[in-house]
Parts: sequence; structure tokens; C-alpha cells
Amino acid sequence: MKRYHWMLLVLLGVWVMAQDSSLPGLKETGNYTQGSLGQVLQPLPVTNAQPDGVYSVGAWPLYTPELADGPGKELVMGYCQVCHSTTYITMQPPLPAATWDAEVQKMIKTYGAQIPDDAAKQITAYLQAHYTPETRKQ
Amino acid sequence: MDNPMHRRNFLQRAAGVLAAAGMLPWVKAQTSSQTAEALPSFTGPGPNPYWNGVNPFVVYPQKLPLLRLTDRGIQLETPRQYFRTAFTPNEAFFVRYHLDLIPNSIDLSSWRLNVEGNVEKPLTLSMQDLLTRFKPVSVAAVNQCSGNSRSRFQPRVAGGQWGNGAMGNAIWTGVRLMDLLQEAGVKPGTVQLQFQGLDRGPGPEGKGSNAFIKSLDWNDPVLQECIVAYRMNGEPLPMLNGFPVRLVVPGKFSTYWMKHLTWIRALTKPDDNFWMATAYRIPDTPRGNTTPADIAAGKVKTVPIGNVNMPVRSFIVDPDGSSKLVAGLPVEIRGVAFSGYGRVTKVEVSLDGGKTWRVAQLGDYHGPYSFRTWSFQWKPTQPGRYTLAVRATDEKGNVQPDEPVWNPGGYLWNRIERQDVVVGTAS
Ligand code: HEC
Repeated sequence: MKRYHWMLLVLLGVWVMAQDSSLPGLKETGNYTQGSLGQVLQPLPVTNAQPDGVYSVGAWPLYTPELADGPGKELVMGYCQVCHSTTYITMQPPLPAATWDAEVQKMIKTYGAQIPDDAAKQITAYLQAHYTPETRKQ
Repeated sequence: MDNPMHRRNFLQRAAGVLAAAGMLPWVKAQTSSQTAEALPSFTGPGPNPYWNGVNPFVVYPQKLPLLRLTDRGIQLETPRQYFRTAFTPNEAFFVRYHLDLIPNSIDLSSWRLNVEGNVEKPLTLSMQDLLTRFKPVSVAAVNQCSGNSRSRFQPRVAGGQWGNGAMGNAIWTGVRLMDLLQEAGVKPGTVQLQFQGLDRGPGPEGKGSNAFIKSLDWNDPVLQECIVAYRMNGEPLPMLNGFPVRLVVPGKFSTYWMKHLTWIRALTKPDDNFWMATAYRIPDTPRGNTTPADIAAGKVKTVPIGNVNMPVRSFIVDPDGSSKLVAGLPVEIRGVAFSGYGRVTKVEVSLDGGKTWRVAQLGDYHGPYSFRTWSFQWKPTQPGRYTLAVRATDEKGNVQPDEPVWNPGGYLWNRIERQDVVVGTAS
């Protein structure tokens, strides 16, 4: 028997005992479930740094959520990650279709994104198909 | 003690425990407790109802887990609980970059702060020069993003969807900007001072996607109070907060607090770069308030957000609504307040959603630009639902309004904050 099987038996035993004793007001106890929110690991301190003038922190970690699946997703991943991650897209609240059109135009005209007209149209259609108040799911 | 009630409970529990261990994957996970359920991954089109934005916790170098808005460029929000104290820990201090080429490593043996442009004697200063040749000064000052609380806007606007945590307060220590400028000798004809750091973007030269640059008017009195800071709460600056030095502009929004500050330029013509001429502009109206219709009609004249100071704000940090309160048990309602216009002179708390107000107790005074903690002892006697509210007044007599503000940039939010709480019975 694996070790956690024993632990389960112990837990069940504790539970049975809890049911038998008198614990006034106890409405629920000993309820566990698999943590769905994940865990966050601790970073290692910079203990091996040299005492020189160089101050380094290592690579910046990426935490980029998956974009919604659908036609145009590859174009977005190709053209819209040159200057920033697509987290800039998923972070937005659902925006009206016209606003997404304006955002894509802003990236091209104001920020100098180099995107052929046809690709820009498909990207706008993709964003409108997944990130408006009517269409946004995730 | 084997009644049917217990047996059903037992079976549920047994299934739950087994499922938790991954042995019965087909058993539906049972109770949803507070920690098992995540916030939604986005809010809108209505306003974000939560104190912070809904983003996940993530770990970054020199930081505790913070709330990730974006990961490249990096934007991280400070969780609510770090605002219990007047000073925000460096490792919890929010992060806001515009561009993604963010320094991973800086060599102080070759880094220099350059003071150049319309000056008699351009300066090239090492960190050692800053530490030894100029008198150190300190100021307690709130650094708040122009877009703090942008996720409250109605209709929602594009941009960083911050809750209330795009702010922090620190004791900043460094060199007076004016001491540097005096040594360089700013020549007549100077109209603005321009600030630039080491961060860059991959966009084409001359565009806002290539470099983040800000300027302050040469006649702005805030220049007398600006510090080139090398210490933050007594420690070196975290890389993500601008190591080795950043500009501190007390009372003004963060957009002027240039990180990794490396160039200070005296300009003879007003700065027309994107981040001055197009971005970070507010309607030239009371509170920077306007409407989508007026914007669409092209009626709105705008000015740089540096033309105003940060409006007065106050925040409820506790209770945070994560647990029920108990009737008859006193609770401390507490939080922080500040104003870019000077000392917070009064904080009032409402227990009825803003109908009636009572004066809260103010914490220590750390200077006109600092957070000021406040607290209010409350003993709820009746069980029920309550809406707490808080509003602050500053020394200029500015009182927080209860009307929302709207502008296309999502700037200058300072509406009265509210917190719903549930009081349970003790009997
Ligand atoms: C040439 C560089 C560049 C490219 C390519 C680019 N962007 Fe951006 N984008 C920017 C910059 C710069 C910002 C402003 C970042 C900031 O202030 O944090 C931005 C911001 C945004 C924002 C936030 C809202 C706003 O207007 O600030 C969204 C949404 C966005 N980009 C979407 C896109 C999409 C969609 C694409 C692909 C069509 C794209 N970007 C391609 C440079 C670029």
C-alpha cells in the first residue's frame, strides 16, 4: 500500500471519531479538496553573485495565457507579439467591435506595427469574434 | 450514533477524500470553499467590482507574489493587504512598464547619469558621484499610476485594467534634482526638462513603441521637490522599480517618475514625443471629466496629466469582505488616504453606504505626499448587510466626490470607495 492510502485511512478514522464525539455547533470539518488555484514556488536568493558592479536579476518570467481558438489566432500570435505579449489582449475587458478595430489601427499607425492590410483585417475579425461583450468567453 | 443523516454525510466525505487524492476522478468535486474558487479571468463590460484587478498571482525577481496584468512589458498590481501600513514594502510595490526591453542586468562601473542639452556644463555622474558629491535628502511620497482603478470606468476603456493597487508609498532618498541642475548650469531659453531611462521597445525609432520619454515644464514648482532616488524604504531600488535611480516627483502621477533614469535634458522646445503629445493627456475640464459623445465630436481640449496633481483618495483595506463579521464584536475599519495637493486633514467613514459620515482617527503624519493611515472602531450590533464607505479631505479643502469620472485614457479616478460586509449573529 502506498503511503497516502494509509493517510486516507487515518483521515477517515479521524472523521469517524469526530462524528462520534460531541462538538457543539460544528457544522462541517475535515473537508479537503484538490487545490485548484495552484501553488507558487519561492525564488532562490542571489547568493552566488560577485561583489562587482554588475547587478543582475535573471530572465523575466512569462505568464502568457492561451488565446481563444479560432481562425486568425496564428496571425495574432505572429503580428501582435512583436512589441508585447498577447496578455495585452486578454487583459482587456470585453471591448466593442469598433474599439478593437481602432486598437489594431493604433498599433499600426501610432506604434508602427508592420502588418499587411489583409492580415490586419483578419486579426480585427478574430478579436471581434472572441473579445467583445457579445463574444467573450474566457 | 448511526443515523441516516450521518451515513450520507460519511459517504459524501469518503468520496470527497478519495476524489481529492485523485483516486475517484469521476466524483464531482464537492463544496466550493473560498480558496477553491478563483475570481473570473476578466470583468466587464460592467465595472470591475473587486478591490484589486482579477489577475493571477505571479512571482518576479525581488518581488513577492503580485497580480499580473501583463508579462511582457511587465505590469504588476499590489494586493490590497499590503496597504495596512503607511509604507508599501519594496517587494510588494507595483510595477508598470510600457515597453518590453527591461534591464535584466546593469553594470554600475559603466552606468552614468547624464545631464545634458541646454546647460553650461554637461554632467556625467557615476553612482559613486551621486552617493558622495551631493547631499542626500529624503521624502515620503505616494507613487500612483495615472490609470490606477481604470477597471472602474463606465464605459470601460482599453489600457491596463488596474484595480486600486497601482499605487505605493515609500521613503525615497537621493539627490535633489535641483542640485544636479545647479552644477550643470541650466541656460536661459530652457522650457522643459526631459527624462529618459534605460528601458526601450522594439518599435521603430521616433515612435512611442521605441522609447518612453517624459518631460516637465521648467517653470513647474514641483522641480524644486524632485529627487533622483537611489534608495527606496532604505534599500536599493528593486530592478522593476527603476534600479539604480529613478525620478521622484512628489504629488504627481507615476508617469513622470522615470525608472532607470539615465538622461536629463534641458530642452529649448516643448517635447512633442508620443508620451507627451498624445498619451497621458486629460480633458482640460473639472476633474478631467468628459463623455464618450464629446470625445467622438472632437470637442475636448486636452492637457498633459502633469498639469494636475493627484486628486485626494482614500481606501478601505480592512475589513475586506472575505469573511463575515460578528454582531457585538468590535472591528477596526482601516486603510490609507493621500492627496497630491498636500496633507490629508480629515477621513470620514460611513456605515450606511454614504448617507451619514463619522470622523475617523488619523495615523501618524509622514509629510504632505505620503499615505496617511486611518482607522475607525466599529461595533456592529445588528446582524445584516452593511455598505461601508470612506472619504478623505485634504488641506486645500478638496473632498472626494461620489460621482464617477470618465475620460478616454482611464485617468484620475478618485470616487468614494465602498466595501460591502455581512454581519452574522452571535447567538
Ligand atoms: C510596433 C509595436 C507593437 C505591435 C507590433 C503591436 N503593439 Fe500593441 N501596443 C504597443 C505599445 C507600445 C502599447 C502600449 C503599451 C503600454 O502602454 O503599456 C500597446 C498596447 C496594446 C494594447 C493595450 C491598449 C492600448 O491601446 O494601450 C492592446 C490591446 C494591444 N496593444 C493590442 C495589440 C494587437 C492586437 C496587436 C497586433 C495587431 C499589437 N498590439 C501589436 C505596441 C505594439
